[in-house]
Amino acid sequence: MHLDAFELHRPESLSETLRLAQTWAGQSDFLAGGTDLLPNYKMHLNLRPHLIALDRVSELGGVSLDRFGATATLGELERYLGQARAYPGVADAVTEVATPLVRATATLGGNLLVDTRCFFFNQSHFWRQSLGYCLKADGDRCHVVPQKERCYATFSGDLAPALMVVDAEVEVAGASGVRRLPLRDLYDRTGDGIRRLRLAPGELLVAVHLPSEARQFRASYLKLRIRPSFDFPELGVAVAARTDGDRIEALRLAVGGLETYPRRFDELTDPLEGQRWSEERIRDLAAAVSAAVRPVRNTSLAPDYRKRMAGVYVRRAIDRMRHRGG
Amino acid sequence: MSTRTVPIRFQLNGLPVERSIPPERILLDLIRDELRLTGTKRGCDLGTCGCCTVLLDGTPVLSCLTLAARADGRSVTTIEGIMTGGRLHPVQAAFVECGATQCGFCTPGFVLTAVALLRENPHPDRATIVRAISGNLCRCTGYTKIVRAIERASEVAP
Ligand SMILES: Cc1cc2nc3c(=O)[nH]c(=O)nc-3n(C[C@H](O)[C@H](O)[C@H](O)COP(=O)(O)OP(=O)(O)OC[C@H]3O[C@@H](n4cnc5c(N)ncnc54)[C@H](O)[C@@H]3O)c2cc1C
Ligand code: SF4
Ligand code: FES
Ligand code: FES
Repeated sequence: MHLDAFELHRPESLSETLRLAQTWAGQSDFLAGGTDLLPNYKMHLNLRPHLIALDRVSELGGVSLDRFGATATLGELERYLGQARAYPGVADAVTEVATPLVRATATLGGNLLVDTRCFFFNQSHFWRQSLGYCLKADGDRCHVVPQKERCYATFSGDLAPALMVVDAEVEVAGASGVRRLPLRDLYDRTGDGIRRLRLAPGELLVAVHLPSEARQFRASYLKLRIRPSFDFPELGVAVAARTDGDRIEALRLAVGGLETYPRRFDELTDPLEGQRWSEERIRDLAAAVSAAVRPVRNTSLAPDYRKRMAGVYVRRAIDRMRHRGG
Repeated sequence: MSTRTVPIRFQLNGLPVERSIPPERILLDLIRDELRLTGTKRGCDLGTCGCCTVLLDGTPVLSCLTLAARADGRSVTTIEGIMTGGRLHPVQAAFVECGATQCGFCTPGFVLTAVALLRENPHPDRATIVRAISGNLCRCTGYTKIVRAIERASEVAP
């Protein structure tokens, strides 16, 4: 498949990267592993004339117990978490991303910022042209929810929910310096589905930070997909909890693969803190999550099925977490 | 946008290569179309099939999703580069012996993935093998003989 011409920049320091990003703000994309961006470029989706490659910027790499560099590959992270036996939910999620071949180059930052997906978007240029383009690329209407204002493409990254439930923070650098924000605030739910991140033009992800409390959580991540060896999530459920015997001290739950944003459900889990686990509470929580999510018809599995399975997966993810030591 | 070329130097199957390439050149295209090593196959061109697998500094990667510029300063091994002294690599020999190939289109990718696996883990169990090859698709064999061949190679490995 043909890639259109672009200019490739290969900075070797963070400051040089930020300078380039400033110069080409709005006309450039960052290139990390390229396993999301390059397929999209091959399909002529939202091309930009400049690519700023991050693989030589050492400040962005590295993995340690409380900091995962943005350009750490998923393969690297998988090996590290396996050896360190830390963050079981994140470890579940990372081994379920794509395939070992993809994980060899795919990065953590790219995973958190992976583009949203839709049947009508992830198609060749010819295919999209035949149907008439859509809002997200080259067009002015949505084929899934007929209107012209908002895109409903699905967020299909596996790591975001798993990291959100352990209160991970992201470090972001840009022209105005470095800042930190909770990962869940990186996703801007007030956007139109196309602008969906709280990142200014030219800002990049430097690292993910894990607070020390994250290591006191039991956690798990469960993913629904068509081929167990392979596919993007049709649904992903992450849970984390700190308990004292049967009493829940802290509980977090997040889902991905269902809507345009990964989403944490504090309004449903906060009332359970201080309570004891019971079959009934788990069933009610699962039903409430299932009722709240709004998948649309833009992935392989039917939205009603994904909605129902959200409840099933909440129960299974909690079960898996509770039967896990540590 | 004017396309400038970028100079790259890398080792391909142990031999030095120097080239000037457009920045958007994909490694798979460089290997097949310019360097004429057609053992590396183009299947999906989108990262899903594993036919285009090559070793980059010993790690299996998808050459269809790798810019050729990323090979600069590194070593690339393709299926043409794993025989020694005119003898098949033990993994290749095991594929022949076990009949692990039918149309053969996926075979170079499987062989390179298996070579890298056995280097890291000379005696993997079956589950580890199945996981390691989960990014390589075969539409002919049903995988049984491929897994068997990798087990066989691990038995005869030095
Ligand atoms: C066959 C196949 C299967 C896949 N299956 C899955 C799956 O199951 N689950 C899943 O989650 N993903 C999947 N993916 C998508 C992708 O491989 C992963 O999400 C991967 O982690 C993306 O990382 P990358 O480094 O390759 O990103 P890139 O493609 O390099 O970048 C993705 C986006 O993030 C931006 N970006 C990257 N790093 C930074 C940074 N540090 N700062 C600012 N912006 C940045 C890029 O500009 C781009 O917009 C799959 C891909 C393929 C080809
Ligand atoms: S949800 Fe609508 S606007 Fe968004 S990618 Fe799909 S068709 Fe396009
Ligand atoms: S051709 Fe590269 S993965 Fe299919
Ligand atoms: S032998 Fe034909 S695809 Fe594998």
